[in-house]
Amino acid sequence: MERKDFLPVLAGGLVILVVALVVKPALLGEPIGLVSSGSVPVHNPPVYVPPAPVPTATPFPDDGAAYTRNFRWTAIDGGVQTTQVRVPEALFLAHRAAPQIADPLAWGRYAIADADRPFLEDLARRIAPPAGNPEEDYFRLMNLVFFVQQIPYEPDNSTGSYIEGAIPRYAVRQGVEAGYSKSPVEMLVDGRGDCEDAAILMAGLLDALGYDTVLFRYPEHMALGIRMNEFNPYYARYTPKYFAYEGKHYYYIEGTNYTTIPTGNSTFVGKPFPIGDAGGTGIPGVTSGTPEIIPLRYIPTPNEYRIRPARLPAGGA
Amino acid sequence: MDLKVPKFEKPKLPKITVTRKQALTAAGTAVFVVLIALVGGMLLLDYTGDRQVATFGSHVAASEADLSLVSGKVSSLMRSSSDDLSVAECDAYMREFAAVADYGMRVTAYHRQIVGADRVPEAYAGAQSAYIRALDNLNRAFSLWSSAAAAYDAEAYTAAKENLARADQAWKEYTAAIEDYDRELRIAEEGGWAPPA
Repeated sequence: MERKDFLPVLAGGLVILVVALVVKPALLGEPIGLVSSGSVPVHNPPVYVPPAPVPTATPFPDDGAAYTRNFRWTAIDGGVQTTQVRVPEALFLAHRAAPQIADPLAWGRYAIADADRPFLEDLARRIAPPAGNPEEDYFRLMNLVFFVQQIPYEPDNSTGSYIEGAIPRYAVRQGVEAGYSKSPVEMLVDGRGDCEDAAILMAGLLDALGYDTVLFRYPEHMALGIRMNEFNPYYARYTPKYFAYEGKHYYYIEGTNYTTIPTGNSTFVGKPFPIGDAGGTGIPGVTSGTPEIIPLRYIPTPNEYRIRPARLPAGGA
Repeated sequence: MDLKVPKFEKPKLPKITVTRKQALTAAGTAVFVVLIALVGGMLLLDYTGDRQVATFGSHVAASEADLSLVSGKVSSLMRSSSDDLSVAECDAYMREFAAVADYGMRVTAYHRQIVGADRVPEAYAGAQSAYIRALDNLNRAFSLWSSAAAAYDAEAYTAAKENLARADQAWKEYTAAIEDYDRELRIAEEGGWAPPA
């Protein structure tokens, strides 16, 4: 064969290469040339980045300026009890200077605020000292309930509800009305409050003693729910009211409306509200309505979170 | 002017003489070349398809490996008790939740980009599409987890609850997409019809 005989073969080969590397990729939208198809720049896969630690809040000093409040109440045995509460001024002012929590579902944060906790634990132990006999637990519980019920009621839009004599600047105003949810120590320092303030304080005190409680929120009222397996005492002249939440029963406890009944000679007998007595409030929405239940500790948890392993294609890695 | 048309002369073509043997040899060579080209082309196509499936498979495997790490973080968080926590501990739990959500978002977005760029044979297009849909839904679910954590941080618990309800829906769509992927993969590998899952 002569040299000229190779030229058609080389030309044919060249045509095939042009078709394979240029024409076909151009028609199919693939990269032109010897680049492998379907590849993207591959960087390192993402890694887990743990959250940055948050510094612990400095506790309020005990030896600074403080508010001292004396409380006097009738216990479940009919005896009059007294106790003194001391709250650091800095803690009280910090609460007053904090914006209100707009979402009622988050109001449990007021009841279990970390800064208030030492004062609530101390107060709860003094009102309801630990008893050696478990049968006394009911009396301890009721003493705490009675203590809160006997704190005078004062609506949010009354300047008399606040030691400053003025409605706090972060109160939520709607026309002439003002709404202000007090933290437990604010309620103790002010010495008065409305239904939600009482429910929050009672929740904080009972939580400090280890009781499982929630807040019951009605359109016009707020009360407390305490978890009990069954509460149906033989002496009750009412059907104790409870609401189920996450499979548990929470019985209604009123935090306000403690009424006094004159008996002559200027002596008074208290009329507390027992556990489960929702009808005694006289509020129609409470007697027959169903409250929104606000847990003290709310952690939003998804119901769906299991990642399903997928089968790999045969021939895959 | 007196114009004359030149006389056309018939061109003389070279005389080609092809013997019977030469003609048969040329025809045989042509058939052989065509056969070789066909077989070669088919082998090339088959090789390219296998390589594409292998690449797709390796990318799905890498994605699944990273998702198992995410799954480990999620399971660990969900197993941890959220009872009787202080407010600071609840907040720390939610910061961990936000970090896991962010990790899940980044992993799903990363692998979605890689698997989405894969070129697969037509038979595997359904499986690839379903897997991408699964990653998209998972990414959306983690994104809603992240929004829920941000809402919690802003003490907007109702918004957090609503975001998680939407995340649950996205997660169900992810599960459905993974089932579609398994079915499509079975169809592609068996080369035909497969009953619905």
